[in-house]
Amino acid sequence: MIVKVTNLVKRYGELLALDHLNLEVKEGEIFGLLGPNGSGKSTAINCILSLLKYDKGEIMIFNKPMGPDAYEIKKYIGVVMQDVAVFEELTVYENIDYFCGLYINDKIKRKTLVEEALDFVALKDYTKFYPKKLSGGLLRRLNIACGIAHKPKLIILDEPTVAVDPQSRNNILTGIKRLNDQGATIIYTTHYMEEVEQLCDRIAILDKGKTVALGTKDELKAMINLGEKITLEIFNFSPKALEELNELPTVDNASYIESTLVIRAKKGKNNMVRILEFLNTRDIEFGKIYSELPTLNDVFLEITGKELRD
Amino acid sequence: MFKHIFITRTKCLIRDKRLLFWTLMFPIVLATLFKVAFANLSSAEVFKIIDIAVVLKEDYSTNQGFKGAIEQVSKEGPNKLFNVTATSEKNAEELLKNGKISGYIYLNPEVNLVVKSSGLNQTIIKTFLDNYKENAINIAAIMKVNPKAITTYLKKDYTKEISLYKGQPDTTLNYFYALIAMACLYGSFLGLKEITDIQGDLSKRAARINMAPIRKMKMFIYSLSATLLIDFTEILILLGYLSFGLKIDFGNQLFFIVLLCLIGCITGISFGAMISAIIKKNEGLKSSILIAVTMLESFLAGMMYVNMKYIVEKNMPLLAYINPAALITDGFYSLYYYNSHQRFFINIFILSALSLLFCLITYIFIRRPQYASL
Repeated sequence: MIVKVTNLVKRYGELLALDHLNLEVKEGEIFGLLGPNGSGKSTAINCILSLLKYDKGEIMIFNKPMGPDAYEIKKYIGVVMQDVAVFEELTVYENIDYFCGLYINDKIKRKTLVEEALDFVALKDYTKFYPKKLSGGLLRRLNIACGIAHKPKLIILDEPTVAVDPQSRNNILTGIKRLNDQGATIIYTTHYMEEVEQLCDRIAILDKGKTVALGTKDELKAMINLGEKITLEIFNFSPKALEELNELPTVDNASYIESTLVIRAKKGKNNMVRILEFLNTRDIEFGKIYSELPTLNDVFLEITGKELRD
Repeated sequence: MFKHIFITRTKCLIRDKRLLFWTLMFPIVLATLFKVAFANLSSAEVFKIIDIAVVLKEDYSTNQGFKGAIEQVSKEGPNKLFNVTATSEKNAEELLKNGKISGYIYLNPEVNLVVKSSGLNQTIIKTFLDNYKENAINIAAIMKVNPKAITTYLKKDYTKEISLYKGQPDTTLNYFYALIAMACLYGSFLGLKEITDIQGDLSKRAARINMAPIRKMKMFIYSLSATLLIDFTEILILLGYLSFGLKIDFGNQLFFIVLLCLIGCITGISFGAMISAIIKKNEGLKSSILIAVTMLESFLAGMMYVNMKYIVEKNMPLLAYINPAALITDGFYSLYYYNSHQRFFINIFILSALSLLFCLITYIFIRRPQYASL
């Protein structure tokens, strides 16, 4: 295991931020920490990094106990914080060089690494720019370059795509995949489920400081009853028909709001056919129809009873 | 690693325009304003010969003693006190009315002074006349009792004036000393910046730096070296400007002046570091606190009102001993005026002790490598 967190407890006064959190991150994987704002993702990361004091628990990184003085471990960790953490007074190049220099003494080696980091985040054209001249997306890329320039074995990214334009977000996500391909183990926290689905090998879903589900995206989706979500456009659908629809064995739940019928069907085959048969036998006309497979939001909804983006 | 951190921190400090304004430009601008404001004040201190008139009457012509005294103080030379016009009473009245003279003297046979207003010149004339009258009474008394003793009385100097000062007295100098003290203490802004960039719970940059495989105290000392270099250089630039640009006389003890500035910078930086480490609020609030405290210290050291330094020393001596601005100001003062270095080294010692105390408190607050919250 690259990271092993056992029974981690962190309190802020009366508030229990982390409630006996357990995590294991395997070498070479992209591990996603998914949860709504305030679920404890950043707190967990800061505890793992030994920046925050915690009340109870054990944290092992590279099979060694992690602590504030664990410099041998810190050497191999790269961190990209949620907020941009660079010096306004230094240029793009100087910022990357400074942070890289805290890990790498050799000036020639450092120069190569800084050049590679600049290439990696596509900031070569901005080396002499000061951060305040960069757009939000470019600033995020600089933030990432500062965290990964020294080629760490473990990279922790805490919501690196918050408030980033789609182009930069795509660039960042592709970059993370490339880092992983180059051998880095990655811990990625976000509240964007699409990013986690696109990027992560394994995912831990956090709520109220606890892991509520853990596994690959398919394993997580397999945990819930929802098979597919079928949406139909119907202009006239009686309450009686809705009642009968809800009584079908394949239907977990159906709702009709403003000409839209949403059916959450249970796992099983031919859900769509059975719904269409139901409508045909009652001569109910419908317009558009489409079906969606369950998402991580559905997983979160079924487990916690609330939306991921609450 | 030292070189890497030192150079980068130096760049950061030099490029911080707000910081550069407060720590370098503001004292320079203030010094220039002081110089302009004090230009007239200094010239007012230069003694000007006073124009007076003496009424030509019989009593004056016959009073050889008074006539001789007037001739003595109106004789050309460094001790000349009055420009004397001997004229009629009517003309003297006219001259006084037109402001040509500060006052006129007439004898009837007593010595009388006529003035139109009160001021420094009038006080000097009156003091001269009072002295004359006192001596005249003494001489008359001695002549009556023992005429032979009069020679001894006239020749003897009962008191001898010994100057403690090496430099020429100039009350405006204290303003500039207090200004340098303020500039030294403005180094506290640099100290504040360093702590902000090293305490993970004060900035995200610091949190990132805390993740690097380097000891926090090592990082702090390396960064502080850059801070001291910048602050000290700024003070030397200010000193150079005051000395060569504004022609402020600091005496000729360059080594001790530089030593005082260096210790002053250390005190300022360590004070800022301490405030930053203790107060877990935003940087703006901490900067405001530092401005308020350094201004108050400078005020008490006499930067806005020169007598304040003496008022504090007289009424609240302990405050004068713990006020870094007062200690720095007094350090310059003692270097300029005193022959001995005793008072200067007392100031240096207390400043060093204060710096040590500030560093110790800072260390206690920043030594913890983990934070309760970020």
